[in-house]
Amino acid sequence: MSRQNADPDIALKVVGAPRWTPEPDPRTPPGDPATLLTIDSDGVVSAFSGKVEYGQGIRNGFAMEIADELDVGVDSVQIVLGDTDLVPQDRGTTGSASTRTVGIQLRRAAATARRALIDLAATRLEVSAGSLKTRDGQVVPDDGSAGVRYADLLSGNSLTLDIPDVVQVKAVEEFQLMGRPARRIDAVSRVTGAAKYAQDVVVSGMLYGKILRPPSYGAKLRQIDTTRAERVSGVVSVVQDGDFVGVVAEREDVAEYAVEAIRARWEESRDTASDWNIPALLKERAEDLTALREGGDLGAGFGSADRVFENTYYVPYVSNAQMEPSASVARWDGDHLTIWSANRGPFAERDSLAEMFGLDTSQVRVTAAEIGGSFGTKTPTVSYEAARLAKAVDAPVRVSYNRAEEFSWSTVRPAATFEIKSGVDADGNIMAWDYAAFHAGENAFRGKRGADILYDVDNVRIGVAASESPLQSGSYRSLGGATNHFAREVHMDEIAVGLGLDPLEFRLRNLTHDRLRPCLIAAAEAFGWATRQKRPGVGYGMAIGYDAGSFTAQCVEVLVENGEARVTRVVVGFDCGLVVNPDGARNQIEGSIIMGMGTALWEAVEFDGGRVLNAGFARYRVPRIADTPEIEVVFTGGDDVPSSGAGEPGIVAIAPAIANAVRDATGTAIQELPIVPRL
Amino acid sequence: MHLKVNDESHEVTVDVERTLLSVLRHELGLTGTKYGCGEGNCGACTVLIDGEATRSCITPVTSAGGRDITTIEGLADGDTLHPVQEAFVEHTAFQCAYCTPGFIMSSTVLLDRNPAPDDEQIRSALSGHICRCGAYVRILKAVKSASSEPVQSEGGAS
Repeated sequence: MSRQNADPDIALKVVGAPRWTPEPDPRTPPGDPATLLTIDSDGVVSAFSGKVEYGQGIRNGFAMEIADELDVGVDSVQIVLGDTDLVPQDRGTTGSASTRTVGIQLRRAAATARRALIDLAATRLEVSAGSLKTRDGQVVPDDGSAGVRYADLLSGNSLTLDIPDVVQVKAVEEFQLMGRPARRIDAVSRVTGAAKYAQDVVVSGMLYGKILRPPSYGAKLRQIDTTRAERVSGVVSVVQDGDFVGVVAEREDVAEYAVEAIRARWEESRDTASDWNIPALLKERAEDLTALREGGDLGAGFGSADRVFENTYYVPYVSNAQMEPSASVARWDGDHLTIWSANRGPFAERDSLAEMFGLDTSQVRVTAAEIGGSFGTKTPTVSYEAARLAKAVDAPVRVSYNRAEEFSWSTVRPAATFEIKSGVDADGNIMAWDYAAFHAGENAFRGKRGADILYDVDNVRIGVAASESPLQSGSYRSLGGATNHFAREVHMDEIAVGLGLDPLEFRLRNLTHDRLRPCLIAAAEAFGWATRQKRPGVGYGMAIGYDAGSFTAQCVEVLVENGEARVTRVVVGFDCGLVVNPDGARNQIEGSIIMGMGTALWEAVEFDGGRVLNAGFARYRVPRIADTPEIEVVFTGGDDVPSSGAGEPGIVAIAPAIANAVRDATGTAIQELPIVPRL
Repeated sequence: MHLKVNDESHEVTVDVERTLLSVLRHELGLTGTKYGCGEGNCGACTVLIDGEATRSCITPVTSAGGRDITTIEGLADGDTLHPVQEAFVEHTAFQCAYCTPGFIMSSTVLLDRNPAPDDEQIRSALSGHICRCGAYVRILKAVKSASSEPVQSEGGAS
């Protein structure tokens, strides 16, 4: 039972079913109908979504969309996100899908409300609806006579509207807010320290939990002595349930100290996998390849090729390393569980907690705090831990990871090994493309993303396999998109160099894609690719890519000297269709470039037999402000093309573009990441 | 012991081995100062002690006794944001903003000492901070715009 919108002040309510596709699609039926938008008797608009805010600015995007459809100020729109008792179940915040799925449905909801307001005004003013417009929170007649405020129209009403099958949303020319740069509506709370992240949530009577961690993945607890921990002043309880051991204390530092005082003997797994031998192990330990796509005749393709290129590529595990380590607060009220967490999917978290504790989903409420970054990680695990401890001590408990726990015990981007064999004719046309990818992880789902090729090639085989993972693989910006693109786009440059063709010319020769081709041309032009100046130590590289319905082309300049590589300039062509908030999209793309630069140059999780060896920023180098290149973004999408993802696609092409530029500077091919340790 | 934070005096009873960060967040409820790494490597916990940007996660609380501590909560003057905060809003110099308080604290110290830093000086002064969302382009612009020699135009020659 939802406790949604019991507020008697609600004067108008729009009900609709959450959708998973931009346009209605019979193959993916919509979710359960739920209240998507309300207007109260004061004219305040509220919109509800299960999406969460972890830095991507989705609150802004939604507010702008609704404000534009309803002709109200952004300030009079409230966005309620990620509270499972208040919002519709519209899936997790993944796949850069918020704007293209929920956003458009919220626009339809707002347009439905606007239509109803016009009809109310037509009745009241005794004019035809066609002679009325909306402006600044009022319905106004065309003839310039006095309008009526929404609040006045709604006074005394209690309307419930369904979104009709056909609803007219505004056209691009009518947008006042969408498509223009906008400040973040939550900006002030973020610069004053007022924003409350999961790490900051405090509830009455709350205690602090700390979990005893094994020395490595897969280790089994054999013996334990908790006597010393129990004697630490301020410790409330040491909780043990099989291999799950945690301390609950009155203070976090006490819990941390006490957990260190536990004496435990572990039997570690005998796995010999390490970051030294994993590139080869990934193929050895892989399941059979699943064909993502097979077309034409590979044998005939290679037969008609004049040159064949064949190589192996490797991308290591990398850490999401978001700034806020995982944290969750759990409180039991009888058999009801309330969680304050930083999860991307509050409903999925609710459902899994319900299953774990044998509860009905109505007995679990998950509320999303502000989220200090995620990039795909932040799983429900920390909430399980908090809930187990809270149940054991019968008091609310917060579990906050420290940085070492975050590096070792949250998820990492799967390592992957690739084998590519291609055939090209003398003119540089790709005649055959044989691609095999071995991604660490429990299944091939993540590895499939971005594995396909959009260049023109008829004879093609794309195979992806999951491979046993010695570390806990998880989601990371674009899933397999960035790693698959690295292999493919580096291989493309190897062909170009082998044929003596310019990398741009070679790509264009094989690229008729109607969105990617203009995107590449625009990026190359903005970069000045044709007039680039070769200088000692300086290299230029490019790569193209696709993800989450969007397309990108990136050109970079690097400077390689004294065993270091520095990215000095990046030009990004980006087609995500209609850009709702250009500043927000640009911010996401710049961030993707910076993040991807880290994976290209420095980042790799070092491990040995399930132990993470570099679980701190001192040994895990991430991009710093001093590394920032000049970044230019050129949007190439059409305003009449539905919005597609902007949070992830920016990362897919940057690592190969940098690798190609380093090769251009040094003459040495880059087939493994990260680059700098190999210089 | 006695702690002076944001011009307010607090008497706190604390274990000597606690960090200033732990006391600020847990005893005084000043959660704007963030835990990021606990090792002084990321800058999220930066506060000012006697005007000096300091990593509170590796500062024993005892060493801060009686000194002037400023946290992000103490930077604005009522509803009037500090010019550096204003500049971070203006340039949307954040995404998730978990690192933002630390960046802002260090930026205020830089600008106090050097009202017109060049790009290299800003990069150098803030290189002890990590913004994992990668809002660096904007942070550079924001700090520049809060300086006495603001950027003239977006994307123009600098």
